[in-house]
Amino acid sequence: MARIVVITSGKGGVGKTTTAAALATGLAMQGRKTAVVDFDVGLRNLDLIMGCERRVVYDFVNVINGDANLRQALIKDKRTENLFILPASQTRDKDALTTEGVGRVLDEMSREFDFIVCDSPAGIEWGALMASYYADEAIVVTNPEVSSVRDSDRMLGILASKTKRAEQGEGAIEARLLLTRYSPARVEKGEMLSIEDVQDILSIDMIGVIPESQAVLNASNSGVPVVLDEESDAGQAYIDAVARFLGEDRPHRFTTLQKRGFFGRLFGS
Amino acid sequence: MPSEAPGASRESVRAIELKGRMMLVSVLRLNTADAAELDAVLDARMAEAPDLMRDMPLVMDLEGLGPLPMAELLVTVERVRRHGFKLIGIQQGEVATAPVGEACGLPLLVLGAKSGEAAARKSAPEPAAPEPRAAPAPAPAVHTPTRVVTQPVRSGQQIYARGGDLIVMGAVSAGAEVLADGHIHVYGTMRGRVLAGVRGLATAHIYCRRLDAELISIGGHYRIAEDILDSERGENRLITLVGETIRITEI
Repeated sequence: MARIVVITSGKGGVGKTTTAAALATGLAMQGRKTAVVDFDVGLRNLDLIMGCERRVVYDFVNVINGDANLRQALIKDKRTENLFILPASQTRDKDALTTEGVGRVLDEMSREFDFIVCDSPAGIEWGALMASYYADEAIVVTNPEVSSVRDSDRMLGILASKTKRAEQGEGAIEARLLLTRYSPARVEKGEMLSIEDVQDILSIDMIGVIPESQAVLNASNSGVPVVLDEESDAGQAYIDAVARFLGEDRPHRFTTLQKRGFFGRLFGS
Repeated sequence: MPSEAPGASRESVRAIELKGRMMLVSVLRLNTADAAELDAVLDARMAEAPDLMRDMPLVMDLEGLGPLPMAELLVTVERVRRHGFKLIGIQQGEVATAPVGEACGLPLLVLGAKSGEAAARKSAPEPAAPEPRAAPAPAPAVHTPTRVVTQPVRSGQQIYARGGDLIVMGAVSAGAEVLADGHIHVYGTMRGRVLAGVRGLATAHIYCRRLDAELISIGGHYRIAEDILDSERGENRLITLVGETIRITEI
C-alpha cells in the first residue's frame, strides 16, 4: 500500500507544485516508486515543472472517466527512475473529480507505488478537498507572511475534519509544515515572519525551510525539479526535507544570516 | 451552530439531500401582549447582546398570553419580529392553533413536552427550556459538563459551548471564534474572537495564557483589538465585566 501525501496550502503561489515535484523526485531518487498527481484540473502546471508537458496524452480525468487506463496516462519521468507523473486535465473543470472516481484511481495506484504525492490546487474549494480527502498525511506549504500563514491555519482546520480518515473517526491526519521563500536577511529587517513566529502561530512540526532562491525560478522555467540542482541552497534544503519525510533527523540549514567574514569577502564565495 | 462546509457534500448526481438533524433551540415565551411593556423588554434584551440575538433562531411560545383575538396575536408576533428577532416557528398549543400559524406564516412545532400537556403547563411557572426573557424562574440546577477542546482552534473554525463553560487546551487562531454561555479558559495563545456569557451572563470570565485577541466579549459587551492596549496584552490575563466595561487584569 502506498503512503498518500497531499501538498496543500490554501493560498496560491506559495510553492505547492514546486514542492510536490521536488518531494516526488527526491523520493524516487531514494529508490521509492513514486507517482505525483496534479489535482489542479483546468490549470495544469505540474507537467511544466516536471518538464514533461510535451508528452501528455491522457490525463487524470480521462482515467477517472474510464477513457484511458492508468498505464496509458502515467508519464514515466526521463531523468529519474521510479518516478511517474499523472497530469491534470486542461479542458475539464474541477467537477470532473468525483469522490468515488478519485478513490478508485488512487486505490489502483496504491497497489503499485510506494508513495503517491497529490499536488493540491490553491483555495479550499472542491479540488483542494479532493486532493486531501484520501491522504494519509499532509505537507502544508507556507510563505513567511501573515496572509499565507492565516490560510495555512484555515487549511489545517479543514484537514482535521474533512479527510476520509477524519470522517471515519480515525482522527486528524498528520500535517507538517514546509516554509518556502525564507529569507533570513528580510527576517532580520523585520519584513518577514521568522520561523519561530510561524511555528508559534501554527504549532505544528516543521519538515523543512526552503530559502528564497533564484534556483527555484530557474528550475521552474527549465522544467527540472529544483531538488536535482544539488549545488543550490534550495535544492539541498529540499533534499533535507525529503530525508526528514522518510524519518531521518536533520538540522535545518539556511535559516540564519551568513555574515560574510573577511576571507569570504575577499574570495567572494 | 453553523460550521464551515465549502461544498462538502457535492455529488453531481444528487441535487439535494434531506437529512434529519437534532438542534437545540431557544423558546421565547410571551407572558404579556401589552405593546409598551413588550417593546421595552424586547429592546432591552436585544441591546444586551445584539449580534447573538439577531442570529439566534427562536420559537415563539404564545400560551402565556391566554385566549386573544387572532388579530391581536398577529400584531404581537409581528412586534417581536420588528425588534429583529428571527422566528422560525410557533410552539403548538391551545392559543397557537393551526390557523394562527398559517396567518403568521410560521410552522407549528411540537417541542419537548407533548402538545397535550401544554394545557397543564399553561398556568404553572414553566421549568424547562432556556428562556431569553428575564424570568424569575430559578435556573436549572443540572450541571452542564464543561466542553474541553484539545486541538488548536484554527482560523475559520467556530466552537460554542452551549449552556456551560469552555476550555481550549491549545491556541485560538486569528480568524477563529470560540463562544460559551459560561466561562472560557484558553491555555494557548488567544488570537481569535472569544465571547463568554453570550446569553447574557455578566459574571462570566475569560482566562488565558496569552492575550492577543481580535475581539473579547462578556455578556454582550465587547472590545475589539483596536481597543485593547499593548500594555493589556500579554501573559496570564483575566477578563471580566465590571459594570459596562470589559476589564483586563493580570492573574
